[in-house]
Amino acid sequence: MSESGHHPAPLSPVERRVAALEALLTERGLVPEGFIEEITRRYESEIGPLNGAKVVARAWVDPGYKERLLTDGTAAIAELGFGGPEGDHMVVVENTPAVHNVIVCTLCSCYPWPVLGLPPSWYKDPPYRARMVREPRTLLAEMGCPLPGDVEIRVWDSSAEVRYLVLPQRPAGTAGMTEAELAGLVTRDSMIGVARL
Amino acid sequence: MSTPLSLSGLDLPRRNGELVFDAPWQSTVFGLAAAVIDNAFGGDREPFRQQLVKAIAAEPGRPYWESWTAALEALVETLPERPVP
Repeated sequence: MSESGHHPAPLSPVERRVAALEALLTERGLVPEGFIEEITRRYESEIGPLNGAKVVARAWVDPGYKERLLTDGTAAIAELGFGGPEGDHMVVVENTPAVHNVIVCTLCSCYPWPVLGLPPSWYKDPPYRARMVREPRTLLAEMGCPLPGDVEIRVWDSSAEVRYLVLPQRPAGTAGMTEAELAGLVTRDSMIGVARL
Repeated sequence: MSTPLSLSGLDLPRRNGELVFDAPWQSTVFGLAAAVIDNAFGGDREPFRQQLVKAIAAEPGRPYWESWTAALEALVETLPERPVP
């Protein structure tokens, strides 16, 4: 109201809508104090692809764990302490020399949050969602992951019921590495299936 | 095809977490949806997810967090006027 020397930038339309939602929901008592800060902090520091990398590295060094992971992904991932919302029905799909897996969510960008954090922006964009189903080999090549013609590509469309995680192949030349060192090799993109290690 | 141990340029999750929001309003609307799911729907994410699917289908080219905002607005419309005390 009052004039002052400091003028904050005017809010964009979407910022105004979010501010209105925040006011309404706070007024209704649905947003506990500090809730938004806490959940943002968790996703920016605790819940991210390092969790998935630890799962992958464990599977690489422990055949029993790998078998459990491929049989019941949710339970095996919970063994390492990861789980909860957005990850309650996890299916892990294994890359082999003959098969390459890649995940997508054509409808709404479902994603295995507990093990990968929040999705990268391209995962949520319409071209990725549409083209990964229609022409996965071409799109993978464009994304820097060209695959030999004899490698079968399996595209897994996430849904409300199931979230997928790709188990990448263990790179050659890593026989002497520790589990922690191996986890450091695993990229987020390799667990989505748009990169190979 | 692969060049193990030569992974520069890839997004390595050595540090857990990354900048996942491009602007503060995006993390706010993300947190608001989580709050509504927890506190008005008992943790059931499916009603919000259905709104998100609809919002994305309605405007496929719209930026993701704007669709998320539209989905939350639509979900809030379905809430009773006053919360049960």
